[in-house]
Amino acid sequence: MMRLLYIETYKLFRQSRTYYAILGLLFIEAIVLLSAYYQGTEIIDIVLANLKDTFYFQGNLINGSLIIYFILNSFWFHVPLLCMIIVSGMLTTEYEEKTLQTVFMQPVVKWKYLLAKYIVASLFTVLLVLMLALTSFVLSYGIFGKGDLVVYTNGLTFFEHDDAFYRLVYAFLFGSLSLVFFSVVSLTFAVLFKESFKTWIVAALFLIVSTLLLKVDLGNEVWNQIAFFKLNNTWQYFFNGNIDWKAITINSVLLGFYTLVTMLVGLFIFQKKDIG
Amino acid sequence: MISCQHIDKKYDTVRALHDVSMSCDKGEICGLVGANGAGKTTLFKILLGLVTADSGTVEISGDGAKKIGGIIEKPALYHYLSAQENLRLFSKMQGANASKQAVKVALKQVGLPLDRTDPVRNFSMGMKQRLGIAVALLNNPSCLLLDEPFSGLDPLGIEALNQLIFDLAQQNQMTILISSHIIDVLSTVCTNLSIIHDGEIVQTGATSAILDACTKGYTLCGSGIKNASFLSEYHALTNGDCTTITASANEISEIIFKLSQQQIGITSCKPVLDLQQLFNPKQK
Repeated sequence: MMRLLYIETYKLFRQSRTYYAILGLLFIEAIVLLSAYYQGTEIIDIVLANLKDTFYFQGNLINGSLIIYFILNSFWFHVPLLCMIIVSGMLTTEYEEKTLQTVFMQPVVKWKYLLAKYIVASLFTVLLVLMLALTSFVLSYGIFGKGDLVVYTNGLTFFEHDDAFYRLVYAFLFGSLSLVFFSVVSLTFAVLFKESFKTWIVAALFLIVSTLLLKVDLGNEVWNQIAFFKLNNTWQYFFNGNIDWKAITINSVLLGFYTLVTMLVGLFIFQKKDIG
Repeated sequence: MISCQHIDKKYDTVRALHDVSMSCDKGEICGLVGANGAGKTTLFKILLGLVTADSGTVEISGDGAKKIGGIIEKPALYHYLSAQENLRLFSKMQGANASKQAVKVALKQVGLPLDRTDPVRNFSMGMKQRLGIAVALLNNPSCLLLDEPFSGLDPLGIEALNQLIFDLAQQNQMTILISSHIIDVLSTVCTNLSIIHDGEIVQTGATSAILDACTKGYTLCGSGIKNASFLSEYHALTNGDCTTITASANEISEIIFKLSQQQIGITSCKPVLDLQQLFNPKQK
């Protein structure tokens, strides 16, 4: 198994598309930083226009914490989409270039080969999140400085700098679980559809529908709690006044369960399917 | 030795293979001939374990972790890696020796240069074919299956591949099964042939016997051949220094003898096959 993990990692980092994905992620980050640098004050002035008549704000609200929060919001769509494209490509390109046939003409166990892909894809996703977190913290605090975080969810919530810092760190950590789920789903789609374009379209559709369903009330407390699409915003819980650790833990365990089930389904289908 | 018995395979409602049985002994080179879509690749995929047959059995003798290696259609390699990296990767994947020395030996065996470090996407088809064979030979399988190995190769490439196949069968006592629709090439390397048509094996036997039975004439080339008036008895069609005649295998040696008596030197004599008889003898 260790050999297969090494091989998957080696292949992943020898392909130019992996670096394009990393550059793409940094590009998104750069756009957020540049937009904030040139237009951030105007935007925040519009948002806080009414409050500024009533309250006195000390310090700069466009600060590192807020920019990191902006970057974190790419977890809704941009980052998972990028992860799904790159991860599904780990298998679809092997189907399309028929290297999968060459692999299984060697004494290699099918489910172990795919499991290695699932593990490497998950680790790669976490690595992307870590890279995004590290660069966003360094660049945002480096360029915009420290400061309190103002977040608009149901209403405006303010967090002092130190409080905001650890909430942002936790949000990145728990957000990576959601991204790993999407990566695993995309690899399972690759098992089913084999072709890159089909897999990308279905993966993007899955992401869009999941995001839409997040806000839909299923009319039942239990379903609202356990449906997979209700679990992908757990990282957002860190920006409520009090952190609901119980809800975060339950959501994370459930999401881990869904990830595992998706993986097992993929392994089962792949093991049963012909390669050819 | 490789053998399969009563293989059946359907893709939805389309019958790909029906009651296919064939075998190839140790150290033998066997050919599977069929038109496009006859079922050659499906049979090879079943023999290589890539596709499951609906019914029937496959038996491959040999010891070691890998009993069989092969190439299906075109060699599928990691195009962004070099030849050495491809070999190292595929060796590692199956727990074979992936040392630099082992990789060099594998490259040498198939006649590939040791100093190429560029990605295999830059390689010619012949070189990719050789590298594909090197990957197939990793871990010393006792059987080698090559599906359409000559397609896309120039005459020099075909000759070099033929030599490699001969060497593997003779020196390593490897069982080699080759599929192709180019019967001319197969007939020069294979001792036995099986003919597949519409998913069924319609003929099987020694290459010479099958070709003799299906030969409807010969193309003879030699300077002055158009002056041999007696060839008109054989429905001769002349084109420059070559003439195609309708004659049986028994008649051809007599014809060549007569030509030599008339001082006409024959530079080549190629059989012309009755493809209808070859691929569908029952209908004939």
